[in-house]
Amino acid sequence: MGPSGCGKSTLLHLLGGLQRPTHGEVWLAEHRIDTMSERALARLRRHHVGFVFQSFHLMDELTAVENVELAALLAGQSPRRARQRAMTLLDRVGLADRAKHLPSALSGGQRQRVAIARALSNEPLVVLADEPTGNLDSAATLEVLRLFEELRTGGQTLVVVTHDARIAAVADRIISMRDGAFVDDSRLAGTTVGTGTVYGGWR
Amino acid sequence: MTGRLLLVCRLMVRDLRRRRTETVLLLLAISAAAGTLTLGLALDNALARPYERTRAATAGPDVVATPVTTGPDALAALAPLPTAPGVTAHSGPYPMAYLMMTAHGRTVQTVVQGRDASPAALDRPVVTDGTWVRPGGVVIEPTFANALGVHTGDTVEVNGHPLRVVGTAVTAARAVYPRADWRFPGSILVQSSGLVWVDSSQIGTLADGQRLSYTLNLRFVDPHASTSFHNMLRDGIEYHSWTAIADSNGRLVRQAHRALLIGSWLLTALAVASVANIVAGRVVDQRRRVGLLKAVGAGPAMIAGVHLAEYLVLGLVAAVIGLTAGWLTAPALTNPGAGLLGATGVHPPALRTVITVTALALAIAAAATLAPVLRAAATDTVHALVDAATSPRRRRWRVWLSRRMPAALLIGVRINARRPRRARLVMVNTLVTMTALAALLMGLAQDRQVDLGETELANPKETRTLQAMLLVVVVLCVLALVNAIVSTWTAVLDARHPLAVARTLGATPVQASAGMAVAQLLPATLGVALGVPLGIGLYLTVSMGEIRYPPASWMLAVALAVLLAVAVLTALPALAATRRPVADVLRSARA
Repeated sequence: MGPSGCGKSTLLHLLGGLQRPTHGEVWLAEHRIDTMSERALARLRRHHVGFVFQSFHLMDELTAVENVELAALLAGQSPRRARQRAMTLLDRVGLADRAKHLPSALSGGQRQRVAIARALSNEPLVVLADEPTGNLDSAATLEVLRLFEELRTGGQTLVVVTHDARIAAVADRIISMRDGAFVDDSRLAGTTVGTGTVYGGWR
Repeated sequence: MTGRLLLVCRLMVRDLRRRRTETVLLLLAISAAAGTLTLGLALDNALARPYERTRAATAGPDVVATPVTTGPDALAALAPLPTAPGVTAHSGPYPMAYLMMTAHGRTVQTVVQGRDASPAALDRPVVTDGTWVRPGGVVIEPTFANALGVHTGDTVEVNGHPLRVVGTAVTAARAVYPRADWRFPGSILVQSSGLVWVDSSQIGTLADGQRLSYTLNLRFVDPHASTSFHNMLRDGIEYHSWTAIADSNGRLVRQAHRALLIGSWLLTALAVASVANIVAGRVVDQRRRVGLLKAVGAGPAMIAGVHLAEYLVLGLVAAVIGLTAGWLTAPALTNPGAGLLGATGVHPPALRTVITVTALALAIAAAATLAPVLRAAATDTVHALVDAATSPRRRRWRVWLSRRMPAALLIGVRINARRPRRARLVMVNTLVTMTALAALLMGLAQDRQVDLGETELANPKETRTLQAMLLVVVVLCVLALVNAIVSTWTAVLDARHPLAVARTLGATPVQASAGMAVAQLLPATLGVALGVPLGIGLYLTVSMGEIRYPPASWMLAVALAVLLAVAVLTALPALAATRRPVADVLRSARA
């Protein structure tokens, strides 16, 4: 968490290999990634990292299910297997009945859930989410938070950049940033004890 | 692998379907260039093939011998030739008279040859309309008949003797109108004319006592004997080889062919600019798409593959359209009055043409798209996900100058500084258009008549060249117009935000629109200024003979018209865009 311009999104982009650092090193899952080639970074993102963006970044011309299976097809999975996995994920995010819809026919919350399903497509080590609720209204934000909570409970690692205190409410660890540096690192659990639910808004 | 292939195909098909207008415009641009090149290459065949076909069909001679002398002296000079060593066949000697023919009130120089109905060993003209010669009738070479507007059944007067036109026929033994070589008896100097055939029994009467010339057709056992020379004068006999006649006929379409080939290169340049223009219009979207693909794990090769596949498919489809259109149009430029047998269009285009045109279409598609795709693939993903315009470099003199500029000019300069590549595309667009228009004006200024004694008739060479140039210019202008519309719309859409900011600072809608018009007019003026001398130079390079220049007022009027079109095309969408409230524009730009 942190104020605008403190470097949260840059940190996330560095972690995902979307941007290269001007100084220093970036390590992810025991691999140094700042020296990797574009091709190696692409492979890394394909297999180990899932992204969720504030503005969804779905392919407008592809349906929901086609957007979700995009990463699996890129990873070389067979079309049939990729489709099965995409349908399972859409079902998990509650959008199985919207699988054939184009993004333009979905609400903001639904689009973000499609983006989350896409991020989970290749069973990544970590999902990096950049202000995932920034463009959503309260109802849609709750839908996404509920989903994140389910993922966390299921053991999925999520790194979420946010302004939203309600997201912080479901986090195990909160790192605060200011002026490009960490100013606070609170390990709230290690277990789920002590963490609240999104429904109360605050722990 | 199957999955990735499916993904490439899916993204390609969906993107093409989503951008139907852009797809159609891209196809139009590349097809125009491919079509013109097909036409140019088809005319390349037209230079040689029809003559060869005609020569085979009419048993054309290897060499035609015509003594300088006339009457019995000419017959005596020709007498030993049929039995000369190496001669395997001959026909003639046929009587010839250089007379005047009147048709539809026009009197023209005409080469009249006397023939009979019996089949000859060499030079058997093929009748293309009506019948062969008979007493009281005349058969006219088709190009000559076209120029005179004479048809089978009409009546003409040869040296004052009325004759009925009984047909038209083609031959390989003499060049077609206007190169049938009319001359005053006994002279070796030739003048423009056309060829007609009459019954040999009548030619003496028609000539009114004028001594007749004679011509003898020869075939040699050694083909080299006829190809080692073009024209030769030996022992008072002129010899014309079939290669000289083929060359004369080829000149009819050679200039048109050059005009088409050069036109196809101009169109190619314009098509590249057009494709680059359209691609530039969607580059922001494309870069986001690249960023998105990178974010989900696509490597540079995959990204390049996805984008190139789309444009290569477009290139292939455009090649097919261009080949078909060019192939179907070719006969219109080669057939009418060609005076030779066969048409280019009835045969499918040669493999060489197909390969060249396909390669050109693919090259256009690749050239215009490769750079943005590779740049986007190599860009940081985060930068690819956002649009970044070029930041103008800050210089003290620029700041000083900008403070003294009128608001519209300042806005125009700033817009061009922000998107310099787009300004260059506008310059190329107007440069190519103006070059072609200037060359066309040069073509229009030329004398398209040929002098046939008392009357001037249309010169088929000039007419055909102008036809070819008009075809190129029409296609070029359509393409340039499409380019201008695409370019101005994308520029207006792209400049919405800076124009809205300018309006918040006090610029009026008219100033903002004028600023957009200035942004397009600055590079367009440079293009027009360079295009005029380039077009004139291009025409001078291609054309032969005496050159006439069009009045300066023509050039000035066309240049101003081009600039006016650019200004209007820009100002209208810009004015429409300024009707939208500033706050809305700023809000939508931020989102």
